[in-house]
Amino acid sequence: CVDSLDEYNVDTKRPSTAPPVTLFSNALKGLADTLTSPNVNVNNYRLYVQHWTTTTYLDEPRYNVTARIIPESFWRGLYKGVISDLNESRRLVNADEFISQETKDVQLAQIEVVEVLTWAALVNTFGNIPYSESMNPENPLPKYDDAKTVYDAILARLDAALPKLQSKGTPFSDGDLLYKGNMAQWVKFGNSLKLKLAMIIADSDPAKAKTMVAEAAPNVFTSNADNAAFPYISTPPNYNVIAQNLNPLYTSRQDFVASETIVNPMNELNDPRRAQFFTPVGGKYVGGKYGMLNTYADFSHVSDLIIEPDFEGLLLDYSEVEFLLAEAVERGFIAGNAANHYNKAVTASIVYWTSQDPDTEVASQGSARAAAYLAQPKVAYATAKGNWKEKIGFQKWLALYNRGWESWVEWRRLDFPKLSPPSGGNVPAGLAIPVRMIYPIVEQTLNGSNRAAAADAIGGDELTTKLWWDKF
Amino acid sequence: TTRGTTTDTDGKYSISAASGTTLVFSFIGFQSQEVVVGSQSVINVSLKNDVSQLQEVVVTALGQERKRNELVYAAQQINNEQIVQARNPNVMNSLAGKIAGLDIKTNNNLGGSTSAVIRGYKSITGNNQALWVIDGVPVTNANNNSSDQQTGRSGTDYGNAASDINPDNIASVNVLKGAAATALYGSRAANGVILVTTKQGRKNSFDVTVNSGVTWGKIDKSTYVKYQKEYGAGYGGDGSANKFYRGNLGSGEGDIAIFDADASYGAKFDPNRMVYQWDALDPSSPTYGQMTPWVAAKNGPDAFFQTAVTSNQSVSILGGGENTTFKAGFTRSDEKGVLPNSKLGKNLFNFSASFDLTKKLTISANANYSQVKGVGRYGTGYDGKNPNQQFRQWFQTNVDILEQKAAYFRNRQDVTWNWGDPRAPFDQNGPIYSENPYFSRYENFSNDSRDNFFGYAAAVYKIAPWVDLTTRFAYNGTQDMQEERIAFGSADPAQYKRFNRGFNETNLDVIFNFRKAITKDINFSGLAGGSMRRSTENSIRAQTNGGMVVPGLYSLSNSANPIEAPVETYRRIGVDGLYAQASFGYKDLVNLDLTARQDKSTTLSKDNNTYFYPAIGANFNISNLNALKSLGWLTMAKLSANYAEVGNDAPWGSTIDVYDKPTGIGNVPYFTLRNTKNNPDLKPERTKSYEFGLESAFLNDRVGFNFTYYRSSTLDQILPVSITAATGYAFRYVNSGEVQNKGIEISAYVTPIRVQDFSWTVNVNFARNRNKVISLYGEGETEVTNVTIASLQGGVSINAAKGQPFGIIRGTNFVYHEGTGQKVVKANGIYAATSSSAEIIGNPNPDWIGGVSNTLKYKTLSLSFLLDIRHGGDVWSLDQWYGEGTGLYPITAGLNELGNPKRSPVSEGGGVLFPGVQADGSPNTVRAANVDGNGATAYGYPGNPPRAMYIYDASYVKLREVALTYALPQAIVSKLRAFKQIDVSLIGRNLWILHKNMEFQDPEEGLGSGLLNGAGGYQSGAYPAVRNYGFNVKFRF
Repeated sequence: CVDSLDEYNVDTKRPSTAPPVTLFSNALKGLADTLTSPNVNVNNYRLYVQHWTTTTYLDEPRYNVTARIIPESFWRGLYKGVISDLNESRRLVNADEFISQETKDVQLAQIEVVEVLTWAALVNTFGNIPYSESMNPENPLPKYDDAKTVYDAILARLDAALPKLQSKGTPFSDGDLLYKGNMAQWVKFGNSLKLKLAMIIADSDPAKAKTMVAEAAPNVFTSNADNAAFPYISTPPNYNVIAQNLNPLYTSRQDFVASETIVNPMNELNDPRRAQFFTPVGGKYVGGKYGMLNTYADFSHVSDLIIEPDFEGLLLDYSEVEFLLAEAVERGFIAGNAANHYNKAVTASIVYWTSQDPDTEVASQGSARAAAYLAQPKVAYATAKGNWKEKIGFQKWLALYNRGWESWVEWRRLDFPKLSPPSGGNVPAGLAIPVRMIYPIVEQTLNGSNRAAAADAIGGDELTTKLWWDKF
Repeated sequence: TTRGTTTDTDGKYSISAASGTTLVFSFIGFQSQEVVVGSQSVINVSLKNDVSQLQEVVVTALGQERKRNELVYAAQQINNEQIVQARNPNVMNSLAGKIAGLDIKTNNNLGGSTSAVIRGYKSITGNNQALWVIDGVPVTNANNNSSDQQTGRSGTDYGNAASDINPDNIASVNVLKGAAATALYGSRAANGVILVTTKQGRKNSFDVTVNSGVTWGKIDKSTYVKYQKEYGAGYGGDGSANKFYRGNLGSGEGDIAIFDADASYGAKFDPNRMVYQWDALDPSSPTYGQMTPWVAAKNGPDAFFQTAVTSNQSVSILGGGENTTFKAGFTRSDEKGVLPNSKLGKNLFNFSASFDLTKKLTISANANYSQVKGVGRYGTGYDGKNPNQQFRQWFQTNVDILEQKAAYFRNRQDVTWNWGDPRAPFDQNGPIYSENPYFSRYENFSNDSRDNFFGYAAAVYKIAPWVDLTTRFAYNGTQDMQEERIAFGSADPAQYKRFNRGFNETNLDVIFNFRKAITKDINFSGLAGGSMRRSTENSIRAQTNGGMVVPGLYSLSNSANPIEAPVETYRRIGVDGLYAQASFGYKDLVNLDLTARQDKSTTLSKDNNTYFYPAIGANFNISNLNALKSLGWLTMAKLSANYAEVGNDAPWGSTIDVYDKPTGIGNVPYFTLRNTKNNPDLKPERTKSYEFGLESAFLNDRVGFNFTYYRSSTLDQILPVSITAATGYAFRYVNSGEVQNKGIEISAYVTPIRVQDFSWTVNVNFARNRNKVISLYGEGETEVTNVTIASLQGGVSINAAKGQPFGIIRGTNFVYHEGTGQKVVKANGIYAATSSSAEIIGNPNPDWIGGVSNTLKYKTLSLSFLLDIRHGGDVWSLDQWYGEGTGLYPITAGLNELGNPKRSPVSEGGGVLFPGVQADGSPNTVRAANVDGNGATAYGYPGNPPRAMYIYDASYVKLREVALTYALPQAIVSKLRAFKQIDVSLIGRNLWILHKNMEFQDPEEGLGSGLLNGAGGYQSGAYPAVRNYGFNVKFRF
């Protein structure tokens, strides 16, 4: 009888235990995929910052986010695809009786840094989010926490984790797909993240931002070799999600062309990165009109380089760190020379992109090209147009090409370059560029009253509701 | 009275009897008749209906034969004739409209799965399908389709095993509706049981029946798209600038149709305008490099559907000797579907035999083997393999489908209408979204096989006159193989997928049956027994990765990249049950049934894995009261009442958490938490139900009805509920919630005319079920009041919500103006939508369902026809949502209320004026622009109107079956010596939809028997209904 059939309900094809590092590795992939994805169901931020535009289907460049499950995919991608596995990885590390406390410390610190980055992505996208009651399946109705409270909490967690990155234990190494266990680089990564997260609240909480920026600045990235990048490989399913959606090897769709919003100024500045960013059309770079119908064959596409299956996915890079330092100088958070950091930032970006060029001669010309580029009055920090926000905002917007979500955060924060929503023709009147993503539609049915309370608290669950740090 | 014999199925008998002996002729349901033998050698007797007894025997749970007047619950039985009259190759479909309270949802898919639900949906996320029991062998009706298929995203419907039952092998089908009737079957029968009894041979007889028939099927055009014929390819663009590309594709610079647009918001047709169209790129086309007139297609997509042909041949042999009976049957059916390159072949074998080893011991065995092979089964849902995705949603009205056909067959290449680059030559071009639909059917087809074996070996030992012992060992085994392919040249990378699955189940039952008269007036019958069920499911699913190397070679080893590890499952379930039943009858007046069963299941944790459930029922045969026996008009009247509980266990693998292993990167492995959080504390779920019934017959059984009221509550449901991803999971198993179903069922019959050569009989079935979700889970502030069953493409969801019927459809609704109550129109003239997507916009449950069948007989000619009716119930149509947005349907073109073309700019008097009010309550005067497929579209998805606009009423009245049968007169048949009987039938199925409210669809069309059909309410890439007509000839030897 069934008493003797204890193993009948056991899954013999799936394990009930796993090494903690494997969940950490999977979380890294989840994070890179969600932030890198150009899939219109997941991540449309390259459109919102007008790096790209679409050819035939104009829902997304016109900010319709309810025709698909866009907010849900991003939300689920980070909560379920990243934080859940990090959480489990942490539980398994803590539960392991055979490793030393120092090893636990260093591994938990690695987990913590990635988790802080992920929480920041959530809170900077949606505003108030479930945090303190999250990650508990026993509570299907987690309350939403105030965004600023969450943000302060994760900054504190990051501060607590940073010293432990230097703990003497054995870190995750092979499964650490970012740095292969190189803890010196993790320290730089952690501090660069701290710099970045602190700078986001520069307008809303300058005192705190200043303190944290000053603490972090000495230990940040110093070259592109420090970049946090997910190393996609050439075979599915671990290939770059851009290739999955754009490379003719894997899809017949032709949804995206470069937007004239970015192509035109780059043409004007003779930007050396165009060859790595776009494909030429008749020897020139031509962008499509943002938010309008565009014939694929008539416009520059996303470059062959970027749609390579093994093109890496950047999570945090040296160029943006230098831009942050330039900004920190301008804001008086640290001492130094803003132009110097600006030059390093632009140079880092140009060197990064040219170095990827398959033509080895071109690849070696990065620094020279950067110098020539910076020598132009419209680029040089002293003579470029506008105040520091505009100078940095514009160049950072170029440098963050292919990092749509990051670019969208910085655009909201710096308010430059000035972008306009599509208008005229048959475009519906009154479009506005999103400054926030609405909560997933399913939250209305899954966690309705908590979502409603959060919507009230932030001033409405709208694309136009500004987050707490978005003061200007 | 010591000697006996039985007649064959024609009533022929032989017996040797001395003259002067008395022969007693008896038959169940007839009055016995005694004849004293004289010198004659032939004695013909015709028995009179014993209507006053109405002791029809029905087969009930565990194969017990009970007289109808002993039953304490509702059960409705139909016989072979009613099932096979329209020669439907799928038994499940042939039950539609014939049983009150059995909701059959057929679909128009070749061999697709049919949903069979009794008395409403009980389980929020689990299986709601009735259990099929064939001669005591349980056969599950679940299907193995992917979850994407079940939620209308994409996939193929491979049908379900219950559809492989041989209709010609069936003697009767008895539908046990309530828990009291099914309690003996244990947990799996919580959704009711469809009890199939197959034909058995009779002792000392031999009978051969041959059926041969062919039917043809054509799509019912009233269930398919009608296209606007004014505008062709394109999304319109801003004004008229982009209505064509310009370029030279051969004969000079000219306009090029917007090949890459999968919409018809383009330029107005003009027969004088010459345009390069899709065929201008095809070097093999007679119009290669040429411009052709810009006109609407002569042959629209309805020409894609061909005539279906089904042929069905069957032989069945019944017979027996002194101590034996046997049966052998074989059916071969070949179906060719309405889609090109689709076919389904079935071989069904049946064999059974019994042997009286001794006077006390009878052994019997039964074996059924079915072999089903499918090629090119239809893709379903939002899938490039479903031609309706292009035809109903994303198409160009200028594309002539027969030209596409010719283009494919010239070179068997993907010469699509939907080129990626309007100006690139053929060899550098390819389909952007949609394939040439013929290429898709002939190159990207699936094939599959299903081998199913079921049968039993049983022994019945008569221990004493009042008790016998039955031991039965039953086996059911299925092997499934499915292969899917995407050819080189398709829009998607070449791919090969295969799925292999083995399932087997054994059931061992040991049952003591008792029957004894306790006193002269009190009869006792009962049983006690136990059962052991063991099942194993074993499957493997694999596919190529990122393309293939050699075209046309469909093997896993041909993968362009190393394949990912196949997904394996290995699931075992064991359930042991003990059960007993006691029935007491008093003077044919009152019957009392007591039933109890205890199950123990491996799918629950040890502390919770045993559950007991009782049932009690009684009836009162009023008409047998002495006071009423003399009433001539009252033939029979019976009141019954019962109460029952049924327990149910958890799905396999829902108590212990495990990890998934995605494919690692290089040599770095990944593990991840699963989507579903399991729960070790699950306890069995329970259904409690009661029912009251009144069954009566009048005027010598010319009129009768059967009325049942029932109410059931399913509590402590085991649900993998969707939860916010903020919990770290997508689903979590909980043990909570209550769903109530209550309703009435009426089946009635009347024979208005019964004269010498003519009779007319009407049968009516009616069922009304009211379903309500009483509670979900949690309490107070943390109470969950909504569980999302499926989030669907288009922005609607199917839900269980507290206080609402199961399966409600949520989405954005119209905004109604507070003062006027009218629909509010936005500043752009399109209806405003609520900001919340959680508004209830539809209820898929019908108000009632019913069937009316008529049988008219004149001499040996009989005509029967069946109307199948569904009243109410909503469905949301993704087809209309997209198809109106891409300008396919007539509503998107034509003239507006001013008499101007709707597609003219609003500034020129075009556009569409929707009735309603503006935000301030004043009547709407803003005409919505309707000039392009991107927002300036009055209809469909681009303007993001309320989802409620695309809710439809799914009511229908269908002429489901018609059969005209002529039995050749005996005078002629007897001359053809070999034959005993020859019947010729003309048959029709789904000939006519008398009434429906969906203009372009078959309202019944769904997605098969999976999750969503459990809920209903959603159409995506719906297939048209198919009208079948044909003939059948039946010979008996």
